[in-house]
Amino acid sequence: MDDLFAVPRGWLESFGEIVKFCARILGDIASLRVFKYFGEVLRQAGILIVSSTLVIWGLVFIIGLQCGIEGAYFDRSVGVPAYAGVFAAWCDLRELVPLCFGYMMAAKVGTGIVAEIGSMRISDEIDALEVMGISGVTFLCATRLLGSMLVLPFVYLCSIGAGFFASYLAVVQQIGDVSSGGYFLIFWQFQNPPDVLYSLIKAMAMAIVIVLVGCYYGYTATGGPVGVGTATAKSMVFNIVSVHVIGMLGTQLFWGANPRAPIGG
Amino acid sequence: MSFEDSEGTPIAGDLADGSPAAAAGPELTTRPAPPPGASEEEYANHSYKVYPSGRRNVVEFDNTYKSFGRNQILRGLTMGIPEGMVSMILGPSGTGKSVCIKHMVGLLYPDSGDVRVQGESVPDMPDEQLFEMRKKFGLLFQDGALFSSMNLYDNVAFPLRQHTEKSEQEIEEIVMRRLTEVGLGYSRDKLPNELSGGMRKRAGFARALVLEPDILLFDEPDSGLDPVRTALLGELILEIHREMMEDAKAQKKPYLPTFAVVTHDIMSARRVADYINVLWRGRIVEAGPAQDMLNSDNPFIRQFLAGESQGPLTMD
Ligand SMILES: Nc1ncnc2c1ncn2[C@@H]1O[C@H](COP(=O)(O)OP(=O)(O)OP(=O)(O)O)[C@@H](O)[C@H]1O
Ligand SMILES: [Mg+2]
Repeated sequence: MDDLFAVPRGWLESFGEIVKFCARILGDIASLRVFKYFGEVLRQAGILIVSSTLVIWGLVFIIGLQCGIEGAYFDRSVGVPAYAGVFAAWCDLRELVPLCFGYMMAAKVGTGIVAEIGSMRISDEIDALEVMGISGVTFLCATRLLGSMLVLPFVYLCSIGAGFFASYLAVVQQIGDVSSGGYFLIFWQFQNPPDVLYSLIKAMAMAIVIVLVGCYYGYTATGGPVGVGTATAKSMVFNIVSVHVIGMLGTQLFWGANPRAPIGG
Repeated sequence: MSFEDSEGTPIAGDLADGSPAAAAGPELTTRPAPPPGASEEEYANHSYKVYPSGRRNVVEFDNTYKSFGRNQILRGLTMGIPEGMVSMILGPSGTGKSVCIKHMVGLLYPDSGDVRVQGESVPDMPDEQLFEMRKKFGLLFQDGALFSSMNLYDNVAFPLRQHTEKSEQEIEEIVMRRLTEVGLGYSRDKLPNELSGGMRKRAGFARALVLEPDILLFDEPDSGLDPVRTALLGELILEIHREMMEDAKAQKKPYLPTFAVVTHDIMSARRVADYINVLWRGRIVEAGPAQDMLNSDNPFIRQFLAGESQGPLTMD
């Protein structure tokens, strides 16, 4: 019986470790300790903008196109082609844009953090920092998290724009069952400003988890370069699962009880 | 030279109260028992003699045990690093010299026993105090541990930028002086991965020095260097120590600059060391001022300091 529970117990323990570690990072931000290294925060924010925004927008754009095409043909097949805007309004904003953002964050930013911090760990660079009297958690992890929190809302709002624009292109310009005006009429009817806020909350929850998990796996990497590789893979698994769980919970919480749509009423 | 008589108790006197290595002067009265699980034969060559240095110890290990899993590394280590001296820590490869250094700065904690820096117990320190205490140290890691995302100049400037309010101009002056001393003035814009191992070592050396801390720890500063550079590095260490001593005396600092160097190079140990600690099987075999150690009649010490293949130390 012991063996049977060994694996889940291991998971629970490492989950507890992650939570404790994340609490330290959040504590560094809450207590403003991280502002000692504000230069580093800005540097990390800059790196994020330069290296990751385009690829995130690109992915969201592609999914927006797909969603537009599928939506337009589906609505045509059920005889309401004018309603193609619903897909853009719902599918893009509520589900696909946050998910794609989460995927790309996990793949590009999350793994990048594990690799960077992990290689610093195995080459004693973190120890060197600590010996200089600088906390590795504050200087490496809290600065990355705060940097992300500064730029990602902006990045994400732009991604929503990219997704909408792509769906518009697909529905109106490519397939052309509805006019531009007709499309937007439906598009705006099926969403309201809080939806954007909810979507943003979903995505930021994902981003924060991804950065924290990346920091944890990097900071605790052991076992040389192979160990960093293993940690990277583990963080990716954890993050993809988290992205879906957060996506699902968010949808349940924000739209589960009330779709906030002008249907039937 | 007020420091010498300020608290000039010899190490042996400090330890005379009940600790296992309690010694009254160089001649031992009671031999400490071997660590749990080890036989008396394995420690037959440990005479545990500590020749007095006449200085107080800035760093002290007190019956420290540390193991990684089943692998016992420190096995009741009692050792002192005397103030204001250049100490060498010698010992066969894999005995735990690097582990020992990591204990001094609180990167590793002992399983039992104590490590004290300037009289304060490192394992007992709360985080805040530990980070403050570490500012007294400069540490050269065995493999340099330069920040791979920064060029050499930024690496060496990093501690200054973080811990001082100096202007960029002052920083540049200090950094370039240190880089030139170690012969890297022309490589300031190179990234660590563009350097050879020996160059990384020298850059790490410059970085450890840059804040002029009270205690400098060098983990094999000379490995990976050619014989000439090794000799020059030894001289550089002595020269920097002399300079820092003069500064410290002029400024009446409470502690004199103390260097601890881990090395395998017996020649530089002979040239540079004021004090020698020889570590084997997790304990000090013998320790004392260089002259006493070089004249020691302990077979292990004689073998080790002469670098001979015949003697108590074998490959296993
Ligand atoms: N973090 C660690 N985890 C597990 N074992 C370790 C760890 N650090 C060191 N060891 C073990 O401790 C022993 C001593 O290591 P250490 O690096 O201190 O040796 P050393 O005396 O510095 O040797 P060298 O002269 O070759 O550098 C080794 O057997 C090593 O396997
Ligand atoms: Mg070593």
